[in-house]
Amino acid sequence: MSQMVLERLRERFGAAILETHSDFGDDTAIVDPSAWREIATYLCNDPALEFNLPVDLCGVDYPDSWNGPSSTARTGRMEVVLHLYSIGKRHRIRMKTRVGGEAMEGAELDSLTDVWPGLNWLEREVFDMSGVTFRGHPDLRRILMYPEFEGHPLQRTYPAGKTQPLVPYRTEASAGMPIDKLEPFGEFEGMPFGRRPDPTAAGVG
Amino acid sequence: MPTFKLDGNAIPFEAGDTIIKAAWREGIEIPHYCWHPGLSAPANCRMCLVEVIPSAPQKPVMLDILAWDDVAHEYRTQQKPKLVPACRTAAAEGLVVLSDKSEQVRKARRDVQEFLLLNHPVDCPICDQAGECKLQDYWLEHGQFRKRMRDEPIHKPKGVEFGTTIVYDAERCVMCTRCIRFMAEIAKDPVLDMRERGNLNEIVVAPGRRLDGHYTFMTEYVCPVGALTTKDFRFKARVWFLRSAPVVCQGCATGCNAYIDFDPRENKAYRYRPRDNAKVNDFWMCDEGMLSYVFAHRERLLQARVGDQHVSTTEAIEHVRTFFAGVPGSRIAVVLSAEHSLEDNWALHELGTNLLGVDRVFYAAHPDGYSDDILIHRDKNPNLRGVHSVAPGAKPVEALLGDVASGQITHVISLGSSATLGVDQVAKATWLSLAAHTGTLPRMATVVLPVTSWAEHSGTYVNARGLRQVSEKALAPQGDSQAAWQALISVAKALGHEASWHSLKAVRAKVLGIGPLLDDSTLTVSSPSSVE
Amino acid sequence: MEPLDLSHENGELELPSEPMHLNMGPSHPAMHGTVRIVLELSGEIITKSDVQIGYLHRGFEKMCERGTWAQVFPYVDRLNYVSPMLNNVGYALAVEKLCGLSVPDRCQWYRMILGELARISDHLTCTGAMAMELGAFTPFLWFVKAREMVWDILEEETGARLTHSFGRIGGMAFPPSRDLRALCSSALPRILEIVEEGEKMLLKNRIFLDRLEGVGPISGADAVSLGWTGPCLRASGIDYDIRKAHPYLKYDEIDFEVPIGTSGDTLDRFLVRLGEIRQSKRIIEQSLERMPSDGPICCDDPRVVLPSKDDVYTTIEATIQHFKLIMEGAKVPKGEVYSYTEAGNGELGFYLVSDGTGTPYRVRVRPPCFQVVGGLSRLIDGRLLSDIVPTFGSLNMIGGECDH
Repeated sequence: MSQMVLERLRERFGAAILETHSDFGDDTAIVDPSAWREIATYLCNDPALEFNLPVDLCGVDYPDSWNGPSSTARTGRMEVVLHLYSIGKRHRIRMKTRVGGEAMEGAELDSLTDVWPGLNWLEREVFDMSGVTFRGHPDLRRILMYPEFEGHPLQRTYPAGKTQPLVPYRTEASAGMPIDKLEPFGEFEGMPFGRRPDPTAAGVG
Repeated sequence: MPTFKLDGNAIPFEAGDTIIKAAWREGIEIPHYCWHPGLSAPANCRMCLVEVIPSAPQKPVMLDILAWDDVAHEYRTQQKPKLVPACRTAAAEGLVVLSDKSEQVRKARRDVQEFLLLNHPVDCPICDQAGECKLQDYWLEHGQFRKRMRDEPIHKPKGVEFGTTIVYDAERCVMCTRCIRFMAEIAKDPVLDMRERGNLNEIVVAPGRRLDGHYTFMTEYVCPVGALTTKDFRFKARVWFLRSAPVVCQGCATGCNAYIDFDPRENKAYRYRPRDNAKVNDFWMCDEGMLSYVFAHRERLLQARVGDQHVSTTEAIEHVRTFFAGVPGSRIAVVLSAEHSLEDNWALHELGTNLLGVDRVFYAAHPDGYSDDILIHRDKNPNLRGVHSVAPGAKPVEALLGDVASGQITHVISLGSSATLGVDQVAKATWLSLAAHTGTLPRMATVVLPVTSWAEHSGTYVNARGLRQVSEKALAPQGDSQAAWQALISVAKALGHEASWHSLKAVRAKVLGIGPLLDDSTLTVSSPSSVE
Repeated sequence: MEPLDLSHENGELELPSEPMHLNMGPSHPAMHGTVRIVLELSGEIITKSDVQIGYLHRGFEKMCERGTWAQVFPYVDRLNYVSPMLNNVGYALAVEKLCGLSVPDRCQWYRMILGELARISDHLTCTGAMAMELGAFTPFLWFVKAREMVWDILEEETGARLTHSFGRIGGMAFPPSRDLRALCSSALPRILEIVEEGEKMLLKNRIFLDRLEGVGPISGADAVSLGWTGPCLRASGIDYDIRKAHPYLKYDEIDFEVPIGTSGDTLDRFLVRLGEIRQSKRIIEQSLERMPSDGPICCDDPRVVLPSKDDVYTTIEATIQHFKLIMEGAKVPKGEVYSYTEAGNGELGFYLVSDGTGTPYRVRVRPPCFQVVGGLSRLIDGRLLSDIVPTFGSLNMIGGECDH
């Protein structure tokens, strides 16, 4: 789509750009987390690139051995993906980086709210859902979950069936009658899917 | 290591390997139905056909075929390479084999799959194999075609009882003959054979016989489709709801490796599947072993008991404290169990000898039983050698009776549930039993603490040949049960001692040093019942 | 009555000077969906505002990781639930981009028709609700009547008025019904009539114009840096419509215009939406002309598309295909893709990560109104309390989409 953008990034930042590809037509640059802010500012301000629309920011968790769709192995568990668009030049780019150790220690990135104010809420959402903190964010608190919530739901290690009710569920003792149902949102209620392929399931032959 | 090339990758092979076996060792699958790494290869399914490009100066064998030319609207003669079955072609140094990369091979697989599905009944919704069926998997990977036949598929007998354990469905059968070859080659009882020819083929049991013996479940296991099903598992559960954990069969001292399939929603075990281990059981398990998964639920002790009353575990521990308070170690006996893991036995031994100062250690075990020279060991305990390693001087529990009768032993702490003892004989002792199943030992006990069965905790077992194997945790502990080594921490506390083990890791580290055990590498696949 | 104490000077009277905190709580007639705005007021002027969303957060992205690719369709319906067809189409296009599939022409026209009908329904709801919140109940009921006509068409086509789950990977669930053309040609002119009546009622009303004109303005450059897209962005004068800038389906083969505003205030946002309803009508009419009346509606790939039920019940191959697709899911190739379409509120993006199995590894929805509502604070700070209602109404926040 627009190789020009990727070339200019590689020229200017050299080693900080770990990999680039254009799979499925989407130009992607995988960058070093320490250069996150510098590259973003360049993409916004450079007149030939002019990425003025912050499209999306999200986190994708890769805690297991599968390292993700990129071909080379990466260190860091949580991938933060930034999509940008240029209204004037009509080109797009995806910028990705990896942060965080196995238990999400050190998962920090520089905030880009002063480059694009629209990232304010998006960074809050990535913090809330994936647990990445943004240094320099004016107001980093949870946005979608309630403040008493513990944990970061979109991390793959967060169990999908876990509930944290602010008002505890009724027990049989308090209801005074038998409650004949599965625990609400129990992990296995009705759902056979959602597991990684089980290497032991096939058996021999 | 000699290698040959498969799709451009170098595959190492051992002498005598066929292409498919060498690829299988590397984890590469060449699709197949009739081949099995543990059986002979008849090459009757033709699914594993590959293109072998011989090294110069040999030229590949070409066949003349007629190909339809759509443009010219006529048949033209063409040449295509003759494909060979990978299960009967020996791997040789420098061989170049094309499997996924060859267009002819892909066409051949598609066509073989089409023929296999031609007369196949539309049974997926009721067939137990759905979800782990090779016909389904290979259709998606290699076929994706629609049915071209307009005739009625052939009808054959369905639901034929082969014996007390196995049911056969002739319509689903792809005639791979794995069941026939298994019975003949491994179970050494050639009771199955094929009948009729062509379209009317079906598997039959020899006249006057039934499919019996100790290895009938393996015929279901080797069957790649849903033709052979076990009465035990039929219609009980859908496989995609089941999760698996690698365990060790508790039926005898062979210690066959298995997968236990359980439904985590109900916390219930549904079946065993054999797990390959060239050093122990190859690919097989016996019927008794295959059925022994039921003991995760059958005859279980799930609640603590004091006398005749069911109590909570904490209350039971309280009673233990009062019963054992002030009793000197010389009057306490400890009974280890050959049915329990090394961790459980070590913890009890440690509690007894080091913390309480016990000097009389016994062990309880199942009595010997049937054995054969294929897999079944006469010793029906999974961990007898382990118990002997933990406590080399332990005496059989029968010897305990004399000591109790003479009054030298007044208190007993035992692990496990079965022993050949009469209840009245030891009624005089105060007995704490940690047991998972009902049996002789808990029946005579004053206080019973429920412990987890092998399926509910991770444990190490030593088989008859000295191989140490870990059986992983599958189910969540049922009722009030907990792992025996864990329960013993509370027991130790109640008796006024601090346990030196507080986690599975800690206990495992301690049992790691226990010998004497054979080195893994010296063990080979052979008859298991050779030691002792 | 005590006499006034005329000896005091004006400046000596003590007036309370702490700001007042007002909570426009999640349960509020004018908080579309559920949004909480915590306001700090000085008199009627808002000094600070904190917009708190998340009351309708249902864990859509986490739930997608627990099913198959096709099981995501009911979830995407419930994102922007006033224009669910646009979400269906957006997600289907994203998965097809990852699979490398292209659907037949008939399906592309059909998707456009249903999508534009959904867009009409979305804009009618937004403008009608805006009017109602300002006290004009009648135009709201008229627009709802028009919306019912759209929903009647959608019910005839898909079987449901609102949450259709009609999209499929590789096509649509069913081909268009025979009556689609007749239904549309009778309903669309009537809808336009109603819209015109509503406009006549509202746009000549001094009170309505006073409450909307000049209220909550934002410049184009600011809107862009906030990440705004869709009608709200176009109202500020920026010409960015994905259907024109990066055409998908058959949008490059038909004629339509994109209404652009000038001042970026609430009135412009209102007018842009009404203009888009007219353009959607044009798109639907041209698509109905161009759509082939027969031919397959799904592409012919057995790895993603379900076989016909006749075959499933009679042949083993179709049973296996059905089984594999339902139980294990369509095996989408490994990779990541970001696919974007013009939904009712702007750029609806789906960022999908696939690990090659039938279960999605990650489905990220880029909700257009999440960014838009993020800018709400800027629009209302320094303005009157009563300006919140039309401003917030003009942003068209849909709770399901914003909170996903």
